[in-house]
Amino acid sequence: MTIRSNLKANQTSRMNVLTPDQCQELVYAAEEAMWRTGTNFHDKESLEIMKRAGCWVEGTRVRIPADITERALKTCQKHIVLCNSRTGARELFVEGYNSYFGSGPCTPFTINPFTGERHRATRQSVAWATKVLDALPNIDYAMSLGIVQDVPLLISDRHEFEQQVLNTDKPIITVCVDKWGQEDCIKMAEIVAGGEEELRKNPFICLYAEPISPGVHCKEAAQKLVMGAKKGLPTIYTPCIMAGGTAPATLAGVMVQGLCESLSGLVLSQCTREGAPFIMGGVYTILDMTTTIFSYGAPELSLMLAALADVAHYLGIPMFGTCGCTDSCIIDEQAGIEAAISIAMTNMSGANLNHDIGYAEQGTTSNLDLVVICDEILGMARRLTNGIRVDEDSLALDVIERVGPGGNFKGEFDDYLDFDDEEDAMYDAYGNFKPKLISRAAREIWEKAGGKTLREAANEKVRDIINYHEPEPLPKDVVAKIRHIVENAVGHMPGEDD
Amino acid sequence: MATLEDLSKCVISGNVAKAKKLTQELIDAGVAPLDIINQGLIAGMNVVGVRFKNGEMFVPEVMVAAKAMSQGIEMVKPLIAETDMPSEGKVLLGTVKGDLHDIGKNLVGIMLESRGFTVIDIGIDRSPEDFIKAIKEHQPDIMGMSALLTTTMLHMKDTIELMKEEGLGHVKAIVGGAPISQDFADEVGADGYAPDAASAVDLCKSLLGK
Repeated sequence: MTIRSNLKANQTSRMNVLTPDQCQELVYAAEEAMWRTGTNFHDKESLEIMKRAGCWVEGTRVRIPADITERALKTCQKHIVLCNSRTGARELFVEGYNSYFGSGPCTPFTINPFTGERHRATRQSVAWATKVLDALPNIDYAMSLGIVQDVPLLISDRHEFEQQVLNTDKPIITVCVDKWGQEDCIKMAEIVAGGEEELRKNPFICLYAEPISPGVHCKEAAQKLVMGAKKGLPTIYTPCIMAGGTAPATLAGVMVQGLCESLSGLVLSQCTREGAPFIMGGVYTILDMTTTIFSYGAPELSLMLAALADVAHYLGIPMFGTCGCTDSCIIDEQAGIEAAISIAMTNMSGANLNHDIGYAEQGTTSNLDLVVICDEILGMARRLTNGIRVDEDSLALDVIERVGPGGNFKGEFDDYLDFDDEEDAMYDAYGNFKPKLISRAAREIWEKAGGKTLREAANEKVRDIINYHEPEPLPKDVVAKIRHIVENAVGHMPGEDD
Repeated sequence: MATLEDLSKCVISGNVAKAKKLTQELIDAGVAPLDIINQGLIAGMNVVGVRFKNGEMFVPEVMVAAKAMSQGIEMVKPLIAETDMPSEGKVLLGTVKGDLHDIGKNLVGIMLESRGFTVIDIGIDRSPEDFIKAIKEHQPDIMGMSALLTTTMLHMKDTIELMKEEGLGHVKAIVGGAPISQDFADEVGADGYAPDAASAVDLCKSLLGK
């Protein structure tokens, strides 16, 4: 046996866009912008909280002294775990270099997987989407993939959450329309978890809010952040910014502005309740200068978010990333390219909780075929980051010797056969990727099997899951109590006073 | 001597300084002010519009071309009566109540201005009453509403209904934003919907019969 000393090895592949020095420059620049320029908060309670904490408040403009920002970075909870809604099992450790993946929320439109029709998302489309997310092995959590619109719109979030929690036991990131919606969804989650304390101990939901760039925290977002902090539930705060549209055209400038908005949200959360779990989000991209759209497929999106992952690691706070999405209006070659590049890059960057799998048409329309394709891409991307094990055993000198020049490696098959392989396992005895949808068949065999494109195979799988997959059910009394909350939900018109 | 075609080319290439210089030369040479505008400055911008639509030019180029055009127009303006000034029409824009998102609205405004429309932007979080007041004050040909949220888009209907009640039904109402569709526009009684900023210009032109 060889004894090795002081060996440095990569257990996984890794990638960095920025050095720690560059991360520090971005963070200092964000702190400067938070003080010199400040951001606007359109919520009375938030303004009071920030003023009391020592921020400089003039009207709605809040300038945050760097010491308060730095304190908030120290006090926020960094070890965040999301749990299984049925068992409370602690499943996603949203921290360090752990990367988890899931869908995106709130698309106005979706594609019916049976008819191909594009329509507004409904209770049923969210139920179907959640079922698909539940069944896929590489999908770690669920976002809704649609705003439920066949119900009164002001309470659509309650219907959305109900469909989600009925159809998956995976953690759920819930996006509510306002504080009242969030209050109701938390109540429903507490019923599922078995009480307020249980939910806080083993949270299976994560809350979500976003500022309006540049530099505006609307009332709904600020109130949801404050509530998340008071409840001690993990809350994501995600600026969705575009270079040249709602942020400077330089990518570093976008990073500074995004950080300025995120960290201002962090300060509000920590000033509300020190220690509140906070996840720094980001959809940083470009304004496409030909179509004026917010691009979900641009390489700059993946580049900036990988850079943001570097900053998150530098700060030691959890991050919410973006990938698996496309600008393409259909699931075609472009969709595959954009989804694959963004997933591979995000996974390599080590961003923690990554959303928007299944977004097509510049993020306006969800597509379940794309979700299934992304699940396959994730299998490949995770193989890429699993790296190459280099040790005495894997160097395989004995095998090379045994086989010798001109021999064959047939004996190696034994190890494959010995491997206790589950039928749907993603990786084989050597940790290599086993395709499910990706075809490596010879032409005649592929033709005999129907000559299907990847999208066709994905669509079959979607239908199969919807028809036959049965998510872990909730107890009947729990279902009834949740229904009661949905039925009694009261909507509030945006812009109305509290 | 500079020709009107040279001026058009300056607008197309976005050469602001040269566009101003050539405009001055044409004025000095006694070319009719309206010809300078219609056959020089606006003619150039029309080419820009076509090229943008074909994906041959992008937004920053359109904006700098529009700047070249408008600076030229500013120089010619004192020479002609205000009523003779060519305008594609007046459009009033705003984001609906409860919604603070405005990038989409701003892009529509930029594109409309670059194509010769007069744009009045009343900002974000505007109630139906705010829209009515502004319409009465500015007398636009078209009123455009923007919303990013499925919750705030509900205010569009209220505004259009209030317009009719107030006898402002002759002003065309258009709507836009990520959750808006043609079906929704029909449902709330809007006169038009466009899926992006560039097509909003075409929509406004067709609504005004241009």
